[in-house]
Amino acid sequence: MKINDAILGAVLIFLGFAVLLYARTLPDMPGQDIGPNVFPTVIAIGLIVFSIPLVVTGLRKWPTTGAVQFADWAQSGRGRLNVLITLALIVLYIVFGESVGFIPFGIVIVGALLLLQGVGPIPSVAVAVVVTLAVHYAFYSLLRVPLPWGLLMPIAW
Amino acid sequence: MDAILLAAELVFRVDTLAAIFMAACFGLFVGSIPGLTATMAVALLVPITFFMEPVPAIGAMVTCVAMAIFAGDIPGALLRIPGTPASAAYVDEAFRMTQKGEAERALGTGLVCSVIGGLIGTTALVLVAPVLAEIALNFSSFEYFWLACLGLTSAVFIATASPIRGFLSLLIGLLIASIGLDNPAGTPRFTFGYAELYGGIDFIPAMIGMFAVSEILRHMLGGVKPQAGVAAVRNLLSGIGRSIARYKVNIARGSLLGTLIGALPGAGADIAAWIAYALSKKFSREPAKFGTGHVEGLTDASAANNSALGGAWVPALVFGIPGDSVTAIVIGVLYLKGMNPGPTVFLMNPENIYAVFMIFFAANLLLLPLGYVAIKSAKQVLRVPRRILMPVILLFCMVGAYAINNTVFGIATMLALGVIGFIMEENGFPIAPAILGIVLGQLLERTFVTSLIRSRGDYLAFFERPIAAGLGVVTIAIWLTPVFIMLWRRHSRRQAPGESA
Repeated sequence: MKINDAILGAVLIFLGFAVLLYARTLPDMPGQDIGPNVFPTVIAIGLIVFSIPLVVTGLRKWPTTGAVQFADWAQSGRGRLNVLITLALIVLYIVFGESVGFIPFGIVIVGALLLLQGVGPIPSVAVAVVVTLAVHYAFYSLLRVPLPWGLLMPIAW
Repeated sequence: MDAILLAAELVFRVDTLAAIFMAACFGLFVGSIPGLTATMAVALLVPITFFMEPVPAIGAMVTCVAMAIFAGDIPGALLRIPGTPASAAYVDEAFRMTQKGEAERALGTGLVCSVIGGLIGTTALVLVAPVLAEIALNFSSFEYFWLACLGLTSAVFIATASPIRGFLSLLIGLLIASIGLDNPAGTPRFTFGYAELYGGIDFIPAMIGMFAVSEILRHMLGGVKPQAGVAAVRNLLSGIGRSIARYKVNIARGSLLGTLIGALPGAGADIAAWIAYALSKKFSREPAKFGTGHVEGLTDASAANNSALGGAWVPALVFGIPGDSVTAIVIGVLYLKGMNPGPTVFLMNPENIYAVFMIFFAANLLLLPLGYVAIKSAKQVLRVPRRILMPVILLFCMVGAYAINNTVFGIATMLALGVIGFIMEENGFPIAPAILGIVLGQLLERTFVTSLIRSRGDYLAFFERPIAAGLGVVTIAIWLTPVFIMLWRRHSRRQAPGESA
């Protein structure tokens, strides 16, 4: 997924200016030349300066490459959809993981990813259940990580 | 002497040895699966080492990487797909040998060269690190400031094709490092009122994101690729002795080169292998045979990538400045374990340092039998489909990122850095400078501010102490090289038409 350099450069320049503005809000250290704002300011200036050549080369290449180029092996829309679903599942876990619980959600994540890659439904579910329970056993029972039970709270072991 | 005995007690314990053995098997497995790198193996191991004592934790990481770097040769030779980037330099050479029916010779030579290279790198570590630590005891914030600068600089210039992208990557890392309260002024920065951000970006979820999640996303984007069949490997060690004896100069040269490149911050095993392969061809008596399945092409580079691992630990242990991405992760773990790297560790806890040395030797010696088994079972391992592995790894990553503080915030960090890492790699931005920026950002700022306070704002003080001045001059010279190269090119271009006229 090659994004045109001009877009990347523009994003980084925008980031640089945002950091620059933010750094101005940081308080000075009384009686000292170097406050907490200096380091972010230097980084911000660096981001802006080094992104300019990126924008220039990107604009020069724009007519041939366009905004976004995918490698030959990533031409299908299916792969892009898979990436989006993977990201969405992680975000959903961050939001709902505590209430749904690790085991149900883990089975959904592993199972969904397997199905997306064309694994059959029965092996997908089987692998998802076994893997999730194994990871749960290793981390919850052996390493004592308090993975959330969520919906399974009534039958927690 | 007491420290050495203490160290032996720490290493030769059931739990340490068990951790080393399991990490070895894990490293061999991950290394021999294409698409899973040695750095990723360590990143996945970190959440588990979190629950271990310091010595087994370090032992597990050292062993895991040594094994993974060698195991990367296996799919390289058999399928023409390098298992880790460190094997990419000579993958064609090895695969051509397989096509000629010499897969055994290619893998056997790779194994023995890896072991020798690893042992030479370790010897260099054992000899050089304590001497450097002695010198480093006198270092002040000025020297550390320049060391951090030099480390970041070499990561940008040596390790990358495009210094501009390297610099931007570094700046992104430094920006991430400046999040939180942990700066000389103790002012919260970029926290936007989130209490979770006060402590800064947690290192472990960040590493898991950048090295594992980005790889999973790439795999999901690519969809399913057919996996090729693999021929069984037969008698492995026949004729190896002769090749080793014949190319002993190559192995020694590759090992020394690998150690040096490994010690340079930001440049690790993969770059060592590329340079070693190129040098091997340049100095060979039969350069025409390179690329056609010539065993000489494997000797230098196989030794170099394993010796780079030992080399990378020299600056990591002595100065707390990582020599490659793996040691960057290791330094993060050392801090978590309260074993802050730096010259004082050599004085205060010498038994821990000796334990690390012993583990290095043990891991490299263990590589011989375990590597042999791994080559023999390559057929089965390479049959494990990646489409099953990737979802499992994702679940593992999420639990690992969660386990550090037992909050979903770790998973959010992992996800954010995973996406950043994915976009960066897809667009030719090297990851190593960003990682070094995250690891060294605080050191850079702290040493800069304390140095300026000490010198009462006098910038010349950065060049007053001899070692600081030397490091400073070298750093600035590297910064200026692109300018000089540009001027020189312009100069020669202006001369060229005059000559032809």
